[in-house]
Amino acid sequence: MSDGPKAFGVAGVLRPRINWQVLTTLAVLLIVGFLVVLPMVFLVEESLNVGDPMAFPPVEFGIANYISIFSEDIRTVWNTLVIAVMATVMAILIGFTLAWILTRTNVPGREKLERLMELPYYMTPLVGALAWAVIAGPKSGFINQIWKSIGGTNDIADIYTHFGIAWVMALFEGTVAFVMISASMKSMDPALEESARVMGASKFRTMLTVTLPLVMPGVMGASLFVFAEMLGSFAAALVLGIPGRIYVITTAIWDSTLAYPPDYGRASAMGLSLFIVMFVMLTLYRRMIRRGTFTTISGKAFRPRPMDMGRMAWVLFSVCALYVALAVVFPIAALLMTSLQRFATVILSQAQWTFANYELALSLGPVRTALFNSVMLGLSVATVGVVIMALLVWIIYRSQLRGRGAIEYLVMFPQAVPRLVFGLALLWAWLNIGLGLYGTLWLLGLAYFTVMLPLGVRTLAGVVLQIDKSLEECARVCGASWAYQMRTVTLPLLKPGILAAWLLIFMACVRELGASAFLMGPHSKVIAPSIVNAFATSGTELTAAMALIQTFTVILALVILFRVARGMTKELQ
Amino acid sequence: MSVTRIEVKDLVVRYGDQVAVNGVSFTVDRGEHLTLLGPSGCGKTTTLRAIAGLEQPSGGRISIDGQTMYDSTERRSVQTEQRGVSMVFQSYAIWPHMSVFDNVAYGLRVRKQSQADIKTNVERALDLVQMRHLADRGASKLSGGQQQRVALARAIAFSPTVVLFDEPLSNLDAKLRAEMRVELRELQRRLGITAVYVTHDQEEALAISDRVIVMNVGVIEQIGTPEEIYNRPRSRFVADFVGSANLIKGKWTGDDLFLAEGGVTLKVVASHKPHGKETEVAVRTAYIELEPRAGDNQVPGKVRQRLFHGDFVQYVIDSAVGPLIVRRPPINLLEEGAPVTVSFSPEHCVLLEG
Repeated sequence: MSDGPKAFGVAGVLRPRINWQVLTTLAVLLIVGFLVVLPMVFLVEESLNVGDPMAFPPVEFGIANYISIFSEDIRTVWNTLVIAVMATVMAILIGFTLAWILTRTNVPGREKLERLMELPYYMTPLVGALAWAVIAGPKSGFINQIWKSIGGTNDIADIYTHFGIAWVMALFEGTVAFVMISASMKSMDPALEESARVMGASKFRTMLTVTLPLVMPGVMGASLFVFAEMLGSFAAALVLGIPGRIYVITTAIWDSTLAYPPDYGRASAMGLSLFIVMFVMLTLYRRMIRRGTFTTISGKAFRPRPMDMGRMAWVLFSVCALYVALAVVFPIAALLMTSLQRFATVILSQAQWTFANYELALSLGPVRTALFNSVMLGLSVATVGVVIMALLVWIIYRSQLRGRGAIEYLVMFPQAVPRLVFGLALLWAWLNIGLGLYGTLWLLGLAYFTVMLPLGVRTLAGVVLQIDKSLEECARVCGASWAYQMRTVTLPLLKPGILAAWLLIFMACVRELGASAFLMGPHSKVIAPSIVNAFATSGTELTAAMALIQTFTVILALVILFRVARGMTKELQ
Repeated sequence: MSVTRIEVKDLVVRYGDQVAVNGVSFTVDRGEHLTLLGPSGCGKTTTLRAIAGLEQPSGGRISIDGQTMYDSTERRSVQTEQRGVSMVFQSYAIWPHMSVFDNVAYGLRVRKQSQADIKTNVERALDLVQMRHLADRGASKLSGGQQQRVALARAIAFSPTVVLFDEPLSNLDAKLRAEMRVELRELQRRLGITAVYVTHDQEEALAISDRVIVMNVGVIEQIGTPEEIYNRPRSRFVADFVGSANLIKGKWTGDDLFLAEGGVTLKVVASHKPHGKETEVAVRTAYIELEPRAGDNQVPGKVRQRLFHGDFVQYVIDSAVGPLIVRRPPINLLEEGAPVTVSFSPEHCVLLEG
């Protein structure tokens, strides 16, 4: 409690208690509430607007927008469900298989493989979707090109379908499922299985009666989480759904704001409905993992005792390798090939190699500005954000402020709102508030900061909670003042975490699509929506070059992250 | 100057609705080693942290060397860093981003000592714990025992007069713990440190303390020297928690007579008057003989079970006052089933308050 708020003056005299504790809490609640909750309030108001869609504020209210979801837009709802279910099933299958192989068997190169599984996460679904459009698009897709060159007549692959969209979503959400399921597998005490074996159960019977029931809750939790994410995902459906006129809720929201006049009421109603469904599912999920009986999570990791798979181990290895190939290697290779040719083809004898696409991408004013804006936004949001988030983390996890629970809830709230819906809410809020912020980079920066709050706070909290409180207390007992303690003990220990959070936020900003799609103006272009526009209006070759430029910016940031992190750990030793 | 170094009076500490420490008062004399002993959750660590200023009490008074550090009526509380005490933490709290030298030098640097003085004092402190050869090592590369020693050196390096110990040995293995106990005691005596020491290990408390305070659910059960606590436990809790004792139920019939269940009358010592007639007596397992001795309480019985522990043998005796546990040296072993006469001096038959 030493580092709780100081209700005492330096002289050691206790002053009346009301003062700044309450004020700080109120101020933080107000600011975070303003950023997080207010946009949602505007969204609710607009979703009930049944009058002039361009009226600020609306004058006629009704629930017609909600009713139309189940009449005019029922097709969209159906698409969303079909795609989300297919994608969830595939993602969980991928995640479960990989988790089982990498935590329960002696697959060769296990640790390296486990690290490779992070790669799809850094690729982003947008880049993945573009790449798979190149690989498996109808007619000119690489697979169809190859098929025809060996004598096939019809297209055999078409990614612009329900299954195609679900496939790409699953590939990139599979790694999330993998992380969640393998965590529940790792936290299971192997002695639970071993005691079944000792009692005389066969390997198979043990698997059936002990392992599966114990892991099942973890799998269910992951399914729920992944399904909620799928409902709110945007990039793959945008790139692969629009050409085939397959709309899901997120793309329908986007589409209705592009129409003239933009139908903000309909978009808001759909966005809010989506948010409520996701919110309920995520709350359920959180309930599930919090309940004590759930799975075997004891907080401690057990030493894994992998099964000896003999020769099968290499088969399992190729399963992991295949996943990495499908999610990372083929997509990047396809984009590279496309971006380096005048007309994309996989038949090498016909290829005309050129750097023209990169030259064009980097010489086009709008593209250059967009990239520059994204990087600048990333740098500034990460820098300012980390400072504020560190302060929030300290208030939430280390202080004794009353109301810190409420602050935590507010800060984590954006996590439950689909990015796109939050972007819409912010757009609507700032159209109403005015202040001339709409269409500027300032608004984008504010939006990025708000949607990155959960990511940054979670990353920093992980580090803060790892630092034993007595490390700080000991400094005080040794005679150090609060400021001296912060400078010599707390901040040096936090340094690696602060850096990690900075880079994660930076990367997330440079890749941000959902919120940017709505908030980008003609004078505030950013890179991810520009890539989408390029895909819709210019050739795949130029789009591929742009996507790769964005990816390499992110990779560069990653390389720096690992360099610095390694330096940090060295310093600590 | 008075001999009293620390005075704690009517200390109350609350966590929300829970009362962790409920009206605790005691004093610690100059150079004394006082131990707060009790099970987890008894309020001993909270009391210690309140002395350090790491815990905010809600009532009472704490003074060190006659200066008020906390007083609820004056609404006064001195910041931790201005109390001039030192502390060894249960987790050692060795800063992983500093070398051993920097860890130990921390308190000296805070006190703005000169480079030369810092070097001398750090080396002196490291010598005391035999860690000088590791001064340049990174602190995260130390073993548990080494971290313990560095934590100790850091706590004494700036020559504090009061050192607080929060279960400093509980994370060490049994053998190392026994060694460190000896060293700690010696160091505390040599430097004349006033020590307040928290532990849940009764053996450790008895071995190294001048006085022991036994705590339970936020209040003090008994204060006394280790011998007093062991030989004259006041309550059932103390008799049970410190050492091992047989508890015999019965009725106090006045003065030094006790009618045990089963109709046997025992001569007892009533150093603490019981609250009522129905009470218990405590007999330490080590003080019971298995052959008749003149002047003792004598009860017939039979050996039910014998457990050979090496350093001692433990018998379970079915006797007229119920089953008794007896610990004897591992010689002249008795067979299970053998008839015996259990015999213990009235001096070791302690009436409890109930």
